[in-house]
Amino acid sequence: MDTLRARALLRSTVIGVAALGGATALVALLQNGLSVPNPSAVYILAVAVVALVGGRVAVLLAAVASFLLYDLFFVDPRFTFTASDPGEWLNLVLLLAVGLLVGQMAALLRIRQETAVAREREARALFSVSRELATRTSTVEALPRVVEILRHEARLSRAWIALEDGGPRRRPVADTDPGAPVAEPPGHRVLRRRPGDEPAEWVAVHTGLGLVPERRSPTGVAYRVGIEAGGRTLGLLCALRRREDGRPDATETRLLAAVADQVGQALEQDRLAAAARDADIARESDALKSALLDSVSHDLRTPLASIRAAAGSLMDEEVELGIEDRRAAAKMIDGEADHLNRVVTNLLDLSRVEAGGLRVEREVYDLADLLEPTLERARPRLTHHELEVALGGVRPVEVDAVLLDQVLANLLENVAKYTPPGTLVRVGARDLAGEELVRITVEDAGPGAPDTALPHLFEKFYQVPGRSAGSRSGTGVGMAVVRGLTEALGGRVAARRSELGGLAVDVDVPAARPPQEEDTVR
Amino acid sequence: MSGEAPDAATPILIVEDDEATRTALRRDLSARGFDVEEAPDGRTALRRWEVRRPALVLLDLGLPDMDGVVVLRRIRREATTPVVILSARDAEAAKIEALESGADDYLTKPFSTGELQARIRAVLRRAGGPAADADGRVVVGRLVLDPLAHRVTVNGEVVPLTPREFEILGVFLAHQGRLVTRGRLLRAVWGQAYEGEHHYVHVHVSKLRRKIAAADPAGDLRDLVTAEPGVGYRVRAAKTPPG
Repeated sequence: MDTLRARALLRSTVIGVAALGGATALVALLQNGLSVPNPSAVYILAVAVVALVGGRVAVLLAAVASFLLYDLFFVDPRFTFTASDPGEWLNLVLLLAVGLLVGQMAALLRIRQETAVAREREARALFSVSRELATRTSTVEALPRVVEILRHEARLSRAWIALEDGGPRRRPVADTDPGAPVAEPPGHRVLRRRPGDEPAEWVAVHTGLGLVPERRSPTGVAYRVGIEAGGRTLGLLCALRRREDGRPDATETRLLAAVADQVGQALEQDRLAAAARDADIARESDALKSALLDSVSHDLRTPLASIRAAAGSLMDEEVELGIEDRRAAAKMIDGEADHLNRVVTNLLDLSRVEAGGLRVEREVYDLADLLEPTLERARPRLTHHELEVALGGVRPVEVDAVLLDQVLANLLENVAKYTPPGTLVRVGARDLAGEELVRITVEDAGPGAPDTALPHLFEKFYQVPGRSAGSRSGTGVGMAVVRGLTEALGGRVAARRSELGGLAVDVDVPAARPPQEEDTVR
Repeated sequence: MSGEAPDAATPILIVEDDEATRTALRRDLSARGFDVEEAPDGRTALRRWEVRRPALVLLDLGLPDMDGVVVLRRIRREATTPVVILSARDAEAAKIEALESGADDYLTKPFSTGELQARIRAVLRRAGGPAADADGRVVVGRLVLDPLAHRVTVNGEVVPLTPREFEILGVFLAHQGRLVTRGRLLRAVWGQAYEGEHHYVHVHVSKLRRKIAAADPAGDLRDLVTAEPGVGYRVRAAKTPPG
């Protein structure tokens, strides 16, 4: 018997004795002092008072005691449990019957009310837990609040949740008493669920050598409820309860079971959401890969086709090629191989940028000097364009030479690819006032790109709608490389409509302080 | 060693593990009159080099049995045989390490045979020795560097150089037909301490080149020194071999 029930019993006994004693005294006063003929109804009042505090058994006892007391003290012959007058008999039996009836009704009412209060408490606790879980960003984050609610509402001394993480031990994720060690008690009680509406029950589990768990655990009795969802065990809801608080009652048991279920559902939702996210990412990366394959396979195959055709005719014994034709075929193979090399270089650069494997070695350069070899290399591809270069007069820049070389090469390649012969191309530079940056601009008087395309120009595999370079359409990689490399340099890149009418690309790179002047030798 | 065309039967050693590349190089170089030896790995390369002592070595850095730089260092311990490195594009660090270990030039794969010819010729020409006369004066076309007078003239006109620019030009002219890495320039001009404005090596070089260009309206000296992004500077080979 736990202390709580003992205390309740004591209380109803005291109140019952007091009520019956008071009633007896009052009846004696009424009958002997004031000569009221039949004041037995006063006992009904006493029974009703007992019904307010006690259970049905208490009411039954009070009714029977009233019957006996009245019979003993006030019915002739007095001080015997008999009655001489049949009228008195009727009176006594009515007293017993009415006492029982009133008492039972009052007790029923009180029990209903208590049940309603308990139900409300349970509902409120469940609601709080639901709200914590519903407003969570992740279930694990909400669990500390959940165990706190549970500890309070289910009268526990400590509550914690441990989740399976594939390892040999469960991982505690939320604890009302986080500092204390989570020692495995030698024994505990596990809630065994039943299918359907049948009530769950606590089953003692002994992990020690057959010892009674309650007596061995110093901190209280350990209770466990499995957290399950979708037929899998996800973890455990564990609780410690002081021994004097007794076993969890039906309401508390229901609450523990319901919370375990809700946590299980929430964890399952988290898992499904994560799986859906992973699927999304995988789908996106698949889409990227196929975009890459589409655009790259075209760009790689076109030159390969030319190379094989030329090599084929060179190999063929039946084809008599003159020396000039042989040279032309070889030149074509060389040129196409060079084109392939550029495509592959850009793809490798892109993957290096994305993998973060780019090593940047910044040094101070004079811009015109640095970009001169790049321009020289691009010139053969721009022989039919009108190229204007003005890179002098700006501050020295602090960049990685190889990366900036690749940036400008790609921009010029783009111009060569997408503007018709005879187009004016301008490569210029200026200091950006107020910023430690130098702006390199590559612009042309070509057809340009529609304004809506400008923000997307540096996206991977992006193709300007309607812009075509014939069989030599781009991979959509070159400009993505421009952005990736520029950002790796600590710079930025933007596209806009050029004053020349076509496309202008601004590449802003970090400037260096100019060196001190020396005296010259004479 | 002489002029534009190498001697017939100039021995050359190709160290390259990729058979297709090796065969293509052999075919091309044999057709151009070189006496070609091949080695697919570092061990074979050193053995062949020991036996033949070729006039030039084409060395791939990625060999199956050892690093190409190791082969280079072993060669350099005994001889100044010109070595031209063949490297992949993403091996900048290895390339620079090889150049600083004494390689004479490099080619980035893929390269054209025309490019290869030009490099081989330049390197063989340079092997004749530095282009300085008995007084230490260096003459490159119309440019004369006189270390005794601490003066540089183009067409007889003095070019106003700072002390640092003067030293940089001296390093360049001592490396005609070769590559000068930034590290080599730093050590020669700024010393081991690497202090002060060493960040501005490239800016100093730009100023030097601009001053020479200003004194040389004909443009004969325009390609005397050209930038090699990420590596350093390439110095033009002397047009006429000394002696």
